[in-house]
Amino acid sequence: MAELKFIGGYPEYMRELIEKVNSTRAQRKDYTPPAMTPQQREEVLQVHPDFAPGGKRAISIGVNKGDIGPNEVIDLLEAYPLVTPKEIDISNVDYEVDLLIIGGGLAGTAAALWANNEGVATEKILLVNKLRHGDSNSIMAQGGTQAADRANDSPAIHFIDAMGGGHYTNKPDVLKGLVEDAPYIIHWLKEMGTIFDKEPNGDYVERWGGGTCRKRMHACADYTGLEELRVIIDEFRTRGIPVLEHNPVIELLTDGSKVTGVVLWNLETHQYKIVRAKATILATGGFGRLHIRGFPTTNHYGATYDGPVIAYRAGAKLLDTDTVQYHPTGAAYPQQIIGLLLTEKLRSMGAQPVNVDGEAFVFPLEPRDVEASAFIRECYVHDKGIVTPTGMRGVWLDTPMIELKNGPGSTAKAFPGMIRMYKRFDIDMIKDPVLVFPTLHYQNGGVETDPWGCTNLEGLWVAGEVSGGVHGKNRLMGNSTLDCLVYGRRSGMSAAKYLKNGAKFGKLSLDHVDRYVKMLKDAGIKPERKAPIILPEYRGKAVLARMIDL
Amino acid sequence: MKIPYYPGCSLKTSAKNLEVSALAAAEKLGIEMVEMPRWNCCGTVFSLTSDDLMHHVASVRNLVRVQEMSENGSVDTTNKMVTLCSMCFNTMKSAAKRVRENAEDLVKINSFMDTEPDYNGNVQVLHLLEIIRDMGFDKVSAKVTRPLEGLKIAPYYGCMLIRPKEIGIDDPEDPTIGAQLFKALGAEIVDNPFKKVCCGAYHTVHNKDTVIELAHDILTHAQEEGGEAISTSCPLCAFNLDNRQKEIKEKYLKFKEMPVFYFSQLMTLAFGLGEDACMFEANYVDPRPLLKSKNLL
Amino acid sequence: MEDKKDIMQIIADANKSVTTGIDSADIEHWVWIHIMGRAYQVPAGLTIMQAMEYAGYKFITSAGCRAGFCGACATMYRKEGEYKLQTAMACQTRVEDGMFLVQIPFAPAQEATYDITKEPYAASTLLEHYPEIARCVACNTCTKACPQDLEVMDYIQDALRGDYKKVAERSFDCIQCGLCAVRCPAEITQFNVGMLARRMYGRYGMTEPEYAKARLTELDQGKYDKEFKKLLAADVEELKKRYAAREREAD
Repeated sequence: MAELKFIGGYPEYMRELIEKVNSTRAQRKDYTPPAMTPQQREEVLQVHPDFAPGGKRAISIGVNKGDIGPNEVIDLLEAYPLVTPKEIDISNVDYEVDLLIIGGGLAGTAAALWANNEGVATEKILLVNKLRHGDSNSIMAQGGTQAADRANDSPAIHFIDAMGGGHYTNKPDVLKGLVEDAPYIIHWLKEMGTIFDKEPNGDYVERWGGGTCRKRMHACADYTGLEELRVIIDEFRTRGIPVLEHNPVIELLTDGSKVTGVVLWNLETHQYKIVRAKATILATGGFGRLHIRGFPTTNHYGATYDGPVIAYRAGAKLLDTDTVQYHPTGAAYPQQIIGLLLTEKLRSMGAQPVNVDGEAFVFPLEPRDVEASAFIRECYVHDKGIVTPTGMRGVWLDTPMIELKNGPGSTAKAFPGMIRMYKRFDIDMIKDPVLVFPTLHYQNGGVETDPWGCTNLEGLWVAGEVSGGVHGKNRLMGNSTLDCLVYGRRSGMSAAKYLKNGAKFGKLSLDHVDRYVKMLKDAGIKPERKAPIILPEYRGKAVLARMIDL
Repeated sequence: MKIPYYPGCSLKTSAKNLEVSALAAAEKLGIEMVEMPRWNCCGTVFSLTSDDLMHHVASVRNLVRVQEMSENGSVDTTNKMVTLCSMCFNTMKSAAKRVRENAEDLVKINSFMDTEPDYNGNVQVLHLLEIIRDMGFDKVSAKVTRPLEGLKIAPYYGCMLIRPKEIGIDDPEDPTIGAQLFKALGAEIVDNPFKKVCCGAYHTVHNKDTVIELAHDILTHAQEEGGEAISTSCPLCAFNLDNRQKEIKEKYLKFKEMPVFYFSQLMTLAFGLGEDACMFEANYVDPRPLLKSKNLL
Repeated sequence: MEDKKDIMQIIADANKSVTTGIDSADIEHWVWIHIMGRAYQVPAGLTIMQAMEYAGYKFITSAGCRAGFCGACATMYRKEGEYKLQTAMACQTRVEDGMFLVQIPFAPAQEATYDITKEPYAASTLLEHYPEIARCVACNTCTKACPQDLEVMDYIQDALRGDYKKVAERSFDCIQCGLCAVRCPAEITQFNVGMLARRMYGRYGMTEPEYAKARLTELDQGKYDKEFKKLLAADVEELKKRYAAREREAD
C-alpha cells in the first residue's frame, strides 16, 4: 500500500466521500427520519451484537447457574482464582476499617463522602483503587446527568423513559430511587462547587438524551464526568479520607457467608495485603476492556469486570448479565482513537448519522441499542458504510450540522474535549463530519442491587456500573453518572446505618474460594483461565511470544 | 486619547475605588483607558529588590501586550501605557528602562519568551497623574463643577511615584504634582513635611508595628499642619495610612481618624460624577461626614 | 447481505489493532523512538501509549482512561536535534521518529485543606490557601507545558487577583495531569489552585435555578408518592402503554 495522501486529516478517497455529505447537508437540515415503530426496532435489533448468534453461553456453576452471558464474561466467571487460598496468610491484617470502598469513580467517591456525612469517621474509611483515585469510566462521561427538575417534567416521566429504554426489565423500586434522588444529586453537586452549563437567564442548559421525552440532561460542556468527579474527589481529599491507589482487590474475604474483608495486590511491589472491614462497598465499574465480540471500547484501562468476578465467588447474585451496551457513536477513524466515545449530546444538538451516499438513514436519538443496530445494518446489511484505510466500516456523524442548527461557535462551546481530540489528529469536526461505529460502552447488568445498594450478601453493597437492576437490559444516556451518584450516596448511607447499628468485624476466610474452585473442577473446567484479569493485554503477539516471567 | 491601561492586581481587589474613580475622571478629561485584554502581575517587590532578570519577565510580558495593542489598532497611542498604582508604575517603568538600556538583557528576555512576539524596547510607562499634568491643569479646572472649596488636603507621595529620580514623575525632593492637581480642583493645600516618608510598605505583613509608627507620624504631621484629609495614588500606602488607623487608635488613644483619598476620588467628586464614581464606601475611614460638613456631598 | 455471525467476525477482525494489540504483519511504516533512553522500532502512526505497548511495556501506572480525559499518561519528550522539552498525553499523541520519551505518572503537589462551605468568597481565599501563587513571575512555562493548551499562567494571574470566574473559564478543561506543576519554577501547583477556584465559583459565583429548588421542595413534600405507588404496582403491559403514550416535548 502506497502512503496515503491526507487532506485535513482524511485520506483523499474519504475526502471525496465527505463532499457527498456536504452536498446534502442543506436539505437534511429540515429533515429527520421518523422514529422507529416497536416492530421496526425489533427487526433492526437482530443485528445487535447481543442478538447476533455465536456470542453467548450459559454459566455452568454458581448462584446464577444457567443464566446466559457473553462468552468473554462467562470465561471470567468460570475462571480459577489468581492465587490459591493456601498461598495467602490472612491472619495478619494490614488494615482494619469500618468501611472499605473498592473503586474510586463517582460511585465509590460519593459513597465515602456520604458514609462520612452519616457519621462514619474519616479514619475508619478506606478507599482502594486499582489505578489512581479517579481513574474510572466516570471521568470519561461526556454527555451529562439526567435529572427531572423542570416544571414540565417529573421523576415519574423520567421513570417511564428509563423503563421503556430498559425494555421494562429495570427493577422498579431501584429505578424509583434513581429518578427521585436525581434533582437532589444535581443540587448536592452544585453545593460542592460543580459548574453546570447555564443559560444566559440562569437556568440550567438541559438537553435531549436518546430515548427521553423531556430535555433533562445537565452537562458541564463535554467534560461532565471529569467535572463532577474532580469536584467530589477534591472534597474527599480535603476531608482527609484515606485512600490506597494501585492496589486492586483480587479476592473478597468472608466468614463463610458475610463479606468481612478483602485481599489487595500491590500492582508495583506485587505484595498482597489483607483488609478487614465491617462493611464493604463494591464500586469497581464495568467491563469494556473485555472487548466483547471483538468490539473496541469507550472504557478506561481498568474496566475488566473484576468486581462481579470476585463477588460471584463469594455468592453474590448477578442480574442481566446477558446484555451489553454498545454506544452507537464510537470513533471509527483515525486508528489511534478507534472506539473512543463521541457523546450522544452531539446528536442531541443536531449532528446527524449519514451513510456513504450522504443520506440521513435513521432517527438520531433512538435508544442506544436500536441506534447502534441501525448503524451496523447500514454498514453490513445495506452496504452503505464508509470503509477506513484499516478496513473498518463506519457511518458519518455529520457534526457540521451542529453549527448550522445552533449558530456559529456552538460546537466549540459544547464540545471542547471532542474538538481537541480530533484536532490532535488534524481533523476539524466543526467543518468536516467524523466517522463513527458502535463501540462497547456499558455493562447494563451486574451484581444485583436493592434500592439501598444492598446485595444478597451481608456486609456487601454495590454502587454504579458494577451493579445490576436499575437500568434493566439497556441504560439511557445520562443515567450512568446519575446511577453512580445516587447509589454511591445511598450505599454509603446504608452502610453507615449498618455500622451505627453495631456491626462487628467477622472471621476472615477464603473458604468460599475453595468451594468455588471445587465447583469449577466438578464442572470439568480446566484451570487454564485465571481471574480477575486486572488489566487488559495489548502487548501483541511478538512481545508475548518472547516473554518469560522470572 | 485612547491608551492601553494596566490595572494591576490590587485595583481588582482591595483598591477598586482607585480604579473606578480614575477611569471615570480620566474619561471626563478625554482619556480613554483601554484595559489590556491579557495582563499579568507586574512582579512588584521581587523585581524591584532583585537584579535577577527572571523577575523582569512579568513586566516585559505586559509591555509586549502594549506593543500588540499599538499594532492592532485597539488604541490610538503608540507604545504608551498608563498605570494607576504607584507600585505597578514603578516596577514596570524600571523593567522597561532596564531592557531599553541593556541590549543583552532584552535579547535574553526575548529569547526566553520565545512564544511571544519580540519586545521592541520602546514602550513608555506612564502614570495617569503625569498624563494629566502634561495636558495642563487648566484642562482639569475647566471640568470642575463642584470646586472642593474649604477642603484642606495634605498630598502624600510616598516612594514609588517619585523615587528613584530617573523613574519618578516629579521632583523627588519636593514633589508638587498632587498639590497642583488639587489646587486645580479648588481645594486648599496643606504641606506635610512627611509627604515623602515611606509608609512602611510590605512591613505591614510581618512587622505591623513599624507601619503603625510611620503611618502615625505621617497622619499626625498632616493634622498638625491643618490638614483634614490626606491623598495618595498607591493602594499599599492607602492600606497602611487608612486601614491601619484602626491599630493606630488602639496604640495612640488621642489619635483622631482622618480620611485618606485616592487622588482620583477627589477628581470625580470635583467633576460632579456622582458618588458611584467616587466609591467612598470602600475607604476604611469614611470620608463622607467630612465632605458633608463642607457641603461637598 | 452477510450472515449475522460473519458480520461480527468481520467487525472483530477490523478492530484487532485496538483490542488485542498491533500485529507487525499489518505494518508498513516504522519509526524509531527512545523510551527512557532505550531505542525501539515501532509502527508509525501509533499513539505513544500504543507504541510503548508494542515495544513490550505493560502499563501499571501512566495509563488511565486512554481517551484524553484523566491525565494519567502525562509524558515529556524531546526530539532529536531540538532543545525544546515538550509535553503530551501519551494516549492522544502520535509517535514521531526520534522522540526521547519519559512518563510522569505522578506529580508531587501541595493540596490545601479547606471546607468549601466555610470559605469566604473573597479575593484573598486563593492566596491564603496557596500563597505561592504570589511567586509567579509570569514566565509562562506552565502554559507551554499544558497538553490541553490551556492559558495556565493567565489563570494563575486571575487567581492572584481573585477573579474566580476567569479562573474557572480558563482552567475548566484541566485534566489535572500535573505537568504545569512539575515544570513551574515558582513551585506553584496550578491545577490545585484551579480546582479550588472552580469549586468556589461553582458554589458561590453561580446561582441555582428557582425551578430546581421548587422540585426539591415538591419531592420533600411527597408530591410524587402516589404516582410512584401506581407505577410500582403497574405490570409490563401498563408500563408499555404509558411509554407509548408519552408526548415528546418540542425541540
